[in-house]
Amino acid sequence: MIAWGSLGIEFVVSLVSAVGVVAIFALALRLLAVGAPEHVRLGVAGGVEQVADGELPLQHARPTWASLGAYLCFAVDIAVVLFGLWLIIPQFH
Amino acid sequence: MDALPIVILVIVLGLVFDFTNGFHDTANAMATSVATGALKPRVAVLISAVLNLVGAFLSTEVATTVSSGIVREGEGGVHISAAMIFAGLVGAIIWNLATWYLGLPSSSTHALFGGLIGAAIVGSGFDAVDWFTVLSKIALPALFAPLVAGIVATVATYSAYMITKRATSTGAERGFRYGQTVSASLVSLAHGTNDAQKTMGIITLTLIATGYQQAGTGPHFWVILACALAIALGTYSGGWRIMRTVGKRITEVTPPQGFAAEASSAATILVSSHLGFPLSTTQVTTGAIVGSGLGKKLASVNWGTFGRMVLAWIVTVPAAALVAGVATLIVSTGAVGTIVVVLAAFGGMATFWWLSRRTPVTRHTVNEDADVLDSRPAAVAGGAK
Repeated sequence: MIAWGSLGIEFVVSLVSAVGVVAIFALALRLLAVGAPEHVRLGVAGGVEQVADGELPLQHARPTWASLGAYLCFAVDIAVVLFGLWLIIPQFH
Repeated sequence: MDALPIVILVIVLGLVFDFTNGFHDTANAMATSVATGALKPRVAVLISAVLNLVGAFLSTEVATTVSSGIVREGEGGVHISAAMIFAGLVGAIIWNLATWYLGLPSSSTHALFGGLIGAAIVGSGFDAVDWFTVLSKIALPALFAPLVAGIVATVATYSAYMITKRATSTGAERGFRYGQTVSASLVSLAHGTNDAQKTMGIITLTLIATGYQQAGTGPHFWVILACALAIALGTYSGGWRIMRTVGKRITEVTPPQGFAAEASSAATILVSSHLGFPLSTTQVTTGAIVGSGLGKKLASVNWGTFGRMVLAWIVTVPAAALVAGVATLIVSTGAVGTIVVVLAAFGGMATFWWLSRRTPVTRHTVNEDADVLDSRPAAVAGGAK
């Protein structure tokens, strides 16, 4: 039989997990940019071409809550990657 | 011990197939990382090769049937002989090399199934093939893989762009490159655990069928080692032709897109292999890259290139089946026929290699957008570009 049910579940789980990981990662990167001067916060989506490292200051004063939030996001994504490894490696289950 | 020569042929061709499988699929995991500059080409293929090698050793639980039910094997069905496996491998290898020459990513698994189907039809007639399984294990997944991965990647890419709209562009780009490297590595490892197993299974089943190995035993260590090395070497040799198509010709991949595409591929592959509807890695990653183009801007996908890929996917099974069918016919005439097929197979491989030397794509030119490939007769690929 064709497993239509598992196909549907598959689609939903893939969508939620992939979009979740990407959104959380993007959120972390966005939080890292909190507090950066306005002229530095050029949108990647704003059509700005890749700028050479060092041309823009990467260091800036960032509020503690933003740093903590970013690290939390990275931690969540690292956990997801570890779960992915657990899924891939048959010896773990 | 009449079977020895054909067993040796199956082992050799199995390893050759494993090698082509490796360089065909390097692009799946690494094309976007190379295209965005997240990894240097040589580093990318090295990481991918090592992870494929590791993956091959991690997962050695080989299948119990050669064709996963596509050919009615065993009781009341056909007996898949070593000669049929040999012919099937010839079909799969020739088709893999043809698509590699044209720079088109196509599923090595489908090529192998196609080869076995062709050999089974010529060997025992159309009844030998379970067409419902062909539909449910090849046709439908081929339809859904790019669709599912494409939609997932479209949403993921869109959200990545929306969220980082006001982040620093250098910081975000660098961050996305790191993320992309990690997710691409997961795809490589998953590939290693899946694909090397297929060749291990084929060699092991052939050894069992011809009495060189006890039934019900796992693959010998030398089989595991040889298969792992073959797929890793193939991966390291880097299918630059395919990588250029996937990384540069579908859409101009930027770091946010690359990360979103690889994360979507990794998620879709892992979820699919654990929920019982396995999807082709090639079709998932290609669909995800198309999706990442759509998520950025609806118009930034080169549909001509994508159309040619879809055509290659449709043709894969029949084309490999045709070659394998002809090979089966010739092999069935006896020892001379087998020698003819061996010579023709290696001649075919040499021809594709020689053809590729005329318009070489190397790690130095993998990111060049010059339309060398497209200036050649596109009619071969049926492309309308």
